[in-house]
Amino acid sequence: MTGMPAALEFEKVSKEYGSFASRQSVRALDGFDLRVETGEIFGFLGPNGAGKSTAIHIAMGFMRPTLGQGQMLGRPFGDAAARRRVGFLAENVALYHRRVDRLMCFYGALNRMGGARLGERAREVLRMVGLQDQAKRNAGKFSRGMVQRAGLAQALMNDPELLILDEPTSALDPLARVMVRELILSAREAGKTIFLSSHLLSEVELVCDRVAVLHRGKLVRMGRTSDLLQSTEQTAIVARGITSDAFGGAVSQNGLVTMTVPISNQRSVMQRVWELGGEIVSVNPVRRSLEQVFLEVTADAQPPQPDGGR
Amino acid sequence: MLLIAFNFVREQRWPIFVLLLWVLLLAFLGLVADIPRMREDLLFLFKQVAVYVVAFSIFFGGSAIYNERKSRRILAVLSKAVRREQYLSGLVLGVTTACAIYCFALGLTGSWTLGAAGFPVSQVWFLMVCLVAACMLAGTVALMFSTFLNPFLAAGATALMLGVPWIASQTVAAGWGYVIPVSALTNTVLKSTFKVPGHNEWFPVGLAVLETLAFWAVAARIFSRVDIAVAVE
Repeated sequence: MTGMPAALEFEKVSKEYGSFASRQSVRALDGFDLRVETGEIFGFLGPNGAGKSTAIHIAMGFMRPTLGQGQMLGRPFGDAAARRRVGFLAENVALYHRRVDRLMCFYGALNRMGGARLGERAREVLRMVGLQDQAKRNAGKFSRGMVQRAGLAQALMNDPELLILDEPTSALDPLARVMVRELILSAREAGKTIFLSSHLLSEVELVCDRVAVLHRGKLVRMGRTSDLLQSTEQTAIVARGITSDAFGGAVSQNGLVTMTVPISNQRSVMQRVWELGGEIVSVNPVRRSLEQVFLEVTADAQPPQPDGGR
Repeated sequence: MLLIAFNFVREQRWPIFVLLLWVLLLAFLGLVADIPRMREDLLFLFKQVAVYVVAFSIFFGGSAIYNERKSRRILAVLSKAVRREQYLSGLVLGVTTACAIYCFALGLTGSWTLGAAGFPVSQVWFLMVCLVAACMLAGTVALMFSTFLNPFLAAGATALMLGVPWIASQTVAAGWGYVIPVSALTNTVLKSTFKVPGHNEWFPVGLAVLETLAFWAVAARIFSRVDIAVAVE
């Protein structure tokens, strides 16, 4: 996979926000390195003010890095030709107040789409996000969740190779979240790359191949989602035919006793179960949730700066 | 560029509509007034209504980027295959089109009311061309300042930039009015009378077009270095 060109790559990117009035600066990104491979779903996590949106805005060319550089689809950040192959959904997306089918055509035309295909694609993306019955309605009359769906639709208009989604499900109901999840998974099946920034860790855990955690402008953890969730420290042993009193911290439920023990103690605990006449039902490495991993690596998080979250 | 221009005009449809009410007022007076007797009053009103649009072009140009950034709608536009200079070109064209709509309506009404009073109709349209050129330049200067200033400061800076040559033309030499020819073009409208409806001087119009291109280039250069996702203030 590393032989293929990266879909998105940050190379030692730093970004400082200056304040003319106070002559102070805030470092939003600090020597940030990241490589997103083609065809993967990449989860981008971090507490408020960690610099996630800043990184995305630099990639899209909305901001210039103070130091460092990067590439998107093989072109330098900010390249308009590269953006033609990218779909972007901003956090708190804002759209013009007009009929949503015409709005889709407007955004498609900005990406040099035209002809009969434009209207056809507009109908197609509105169907994909479940807004086909609202196509003639003014987006100004939409609820926040519907605006977010329309925002996702405009990001899909050009059938992008790279989809950058900043909090795509924050305003959505559970049904719509499932729909977005399926959209993301089907996009990957079609060979697209998805860069997903979200606070909804359960969503990220479900769909992402790899995850990076950003904290105070620095990358503090990155890896395959399955590897991050796998704890190498502990094992859960489930046994029957014994009582939980024999093992400190064991939990008994429906005749099964569950013990979470360090891997180094696994063999001795299993032998003890057998000595007591019990039977081992299962031995599994303990899996953590992404939330646990997130809390662990951002444990020293301070309250966000007043201008954080940019 | 055309899409962004059209979109700008669409977004500004209510201010344009309010502006057009002034033209309606002139049309109404044309209906009820005794045109030959009140022709000087009609010309005064025509000139007054005409120069409003220059002030509005500064308002349109100075607030265009700010409004888009504040609403965050600019992100969805610039996330597409749109370069910053194309975006600015669209806004310049949008501001000019918005003002041209007004000038066209005023030209129609002026041709009818002033034409009936003896003012040459062709001269009415020449004055409208002068106004559109003045609006295009004034709007572009305001747009340039708005790439790094908030709308109020951008409007102030624009007024200063357009006002200094005008003051110099009044106090030092008339030629200063051509440095940034908004005042020269506006004066062509303001100084027209039934006796002397103005000369068809195209030089300031051409100069305004050239300077618009120059200010657009400067604006594009500045705007390409601006972080647009950060609050303006």
